[in-house]
Amino acid sequence: MKSLTRRLTLFTTLWVALGLGLMCWFVVRTDERQIDAAADARLASLLDAVVAGAAFDPAAGPLLTRPLADPEFDRPLSGHYWQLTGPGGSQATSRSLWDSRLPPPLLAPPGVRARDVNGPRDEPMRMLERDVQIEGRLGRVPITVQVAVPRQETDAEIASLRQSVILAFALLGTGLVGVVALIVLWGLRPLRRTQEELVEVREGRRLHMDVIAPTEIAPLVGEIEALIEQNRATVERARTHVGNLAHALKTPIAVLRNALESGDVAGARAQAATLERLVQHHLRRARAGALAGTAGAESTPLAIAEALATALRRLTAARGIIIRVVGEAGARIRADSQDVTEMLGNLMENACKYGVGQVLVRVRAEGAGRITVEVEDDGPGLPAGEDASALLRGVRLDEAKPGSGLGLAIVSDLASLYGGHLTLQQGQRLGGLVARLDLPGRLAADL
Amino acid sequence: MRLLIVEDSPELLQQLRAGLTEGGFAVDSAMDGEEALHLGETEPYDAVVLDLGLPRVDGLTVLRRWRAAERAMPVLILTARDSWSEKVEGLNAGADDYLAKPFAMAELVARLNALIRRSNGVAKTELVFGEIRLDTAARAVSRAGQAVRLTALEYGMLAYLALHAGRPISKTELTEHLYAQDFDRDSNTLEVIVARLRRKLGDSLIETVRGQGYRLVPG
Repeated sequence: MKSLTRRLTLFTTLWVALGLGLMCWFVVRTDERQIDAAADARLASLLDAVVAGAAFDPAAGPLLTRPLADPEFDRPLSGHYWQLTGPGGSQATSRSLWDSRLPPPLLAPPGVRARDVNGPRDEPMRMLERDVQIEGRLGRVPITVQVAVPRQETDAEIASLRQSVILAFALLGTGLVGVVALIVLWGLRPLRRTQEELVEVREGRRLHMDVIAPTEIAPLVGEIEALIEQNRATVERARTHVGNLAHALKTPIAVLRNALESGDVAGARAQAATLERLVQHHLRRARAGALAGTAGAESTPLAIAEALATALRRLTAARGIIIRVVGEAGARIRADSQDVTEMLGNLMENACKYGVGQVLVRVRAEGAGRITVEVEDDGPGLPAGEDASALLRGVRLDEAKPGSGLGLAIVSDLASLYGGHLTLQQGQRLGGLVARLDLPGRLAADL
Repeated sequence: MRLLIVEDSPELLQQLRAGLTEGGFAVDSAMDGEEALHLGETEPYDAVVLDLGLPRVDGLTVLRRWRAAERAMPVLILTARDSWSEKVEGLNAGADDYLAKPFAMAELVARLNALIRRSNGVAKTELVFGEIRLDTAARAVSRAGQAVRLTALEYGMLAYLALHAGRPISKTELTEHLYAQDFDRDSNTLEVIVARLRRKLGDSLIETVRGQGYRLVPG
């Protein structure tokens, strides 16, 4: 169920069908009751007329002294009947009943009893009956008066009412669902327009998105625009970078070619080394640059430092350097894992290089939203006043040790890309150098 | 010492072969992961130089399958990929060292020698047997302070015996570790080399253990 239109319309349809269905049922029920009550009231007045005309003759039994006005009671099997039942089963009936009889009266409860019964021709009928005391010459006589009329008219009335109510509700429901579908289609139109503009931007027919977005999707459009802008900036940066690299490579290549033609092996070797350094430097810059602005990445410095320690223990197996990693397992740095690995790897490798026998890595949560990682060795430490120059120029502090010397500069560059910084201090615990990396992050509670 | 080089660039493979043969190694080579897997699982190498980007089966997979099959020879990864994430992945997959391209041949040779020494439980670079001194880093041998010139095969045999000093080494084992796979092996030449070593370094250094091979008496 991926389509919003379909989802909204379906839910609306279900809800409208349920709501209107219940309402329709309620309305029909109420009207049926009213129609039934009206029919019963008309029948009750007939019953009253029969009761008023009823008399009892001890010789002939019950009889009706005043005939009813409606000729239907005289037409045989017309469906309109009355019947009087006296003591001992003596009966008087309307002419219309002919030789059939209404169902025998119930004797309780007292008062007017209403029933649905079947008539002589098995037609459905509504019947009222009532027990009355008739004043005769021999005193009061109990007589049961019954009056019945066909249900057909009432039923037809109810059926036609039900039909029109259901039709009205169905029309209403269909209309509602249709309107909702239209509203959804219309409401989602800005999304479609946004998509069309995005296509135009992608195909290069348009530089920016100019859609005037409603409040709900304005943030989305804003984000997309920012993404486009960032993409453009990244491409621009990459282009500049490639240009810089190409230019930087041209000079050493020219010198290398001359050196090779003149048979100057030492010169050629020096140029090859320069080329190597350049490539190394630009490669690392490119790696860092590509990740600038990457959001949402989080890394676990303690786990990364432990993996690096395992790897470095293998690399320095011959020298038997003890690498310890301690600190907060819940520390999270807001930076890409590969970059954190690169920063810590460079710092820890340096520490192993300069250290004599011990390297200590400490991961700590520092204040609000900062994580620090300290890499300390037991090497000679730092000559006073040299840290800044070493970092900025990316030169080696100790030219005698192997390595490209770019390590710290790269770490510093990467750290500042992520809004952090690298500082170098004299170590207190082991007595060597402490490289202190300070980066934005948090302390995860869920462990 | 017998090496396996796994490298898919023919030019670099050629250079590696030349440089490492000059460095005193017997060199086998494989140009794709499948061949490397097969050779590494069947031949007794003293060390392996492994490139990561390989046709058919990539280097890390090759390495993991060797380690899963309990092949314990030291492996040096030689690759252009030099980020720390990749180094960690390679080393934690079972590599013993990691060298990024471009590299200097001398450094590769030195690192391989160190790996082989370490894998045989020898920490020092210099081994001493009486008046004989063997500098495994410089590949130099001296007798009573006088430098002795050895051929590559003579040095190779001496170094192998020295790294396993005290244990008799069979001719088969020596052959397997001194010659590359495509070399025409003749066990008679082993006896010739031993004879020449005895002439240059004294008779008592290398013992013949009847039915078992040769043994270097620990100093």
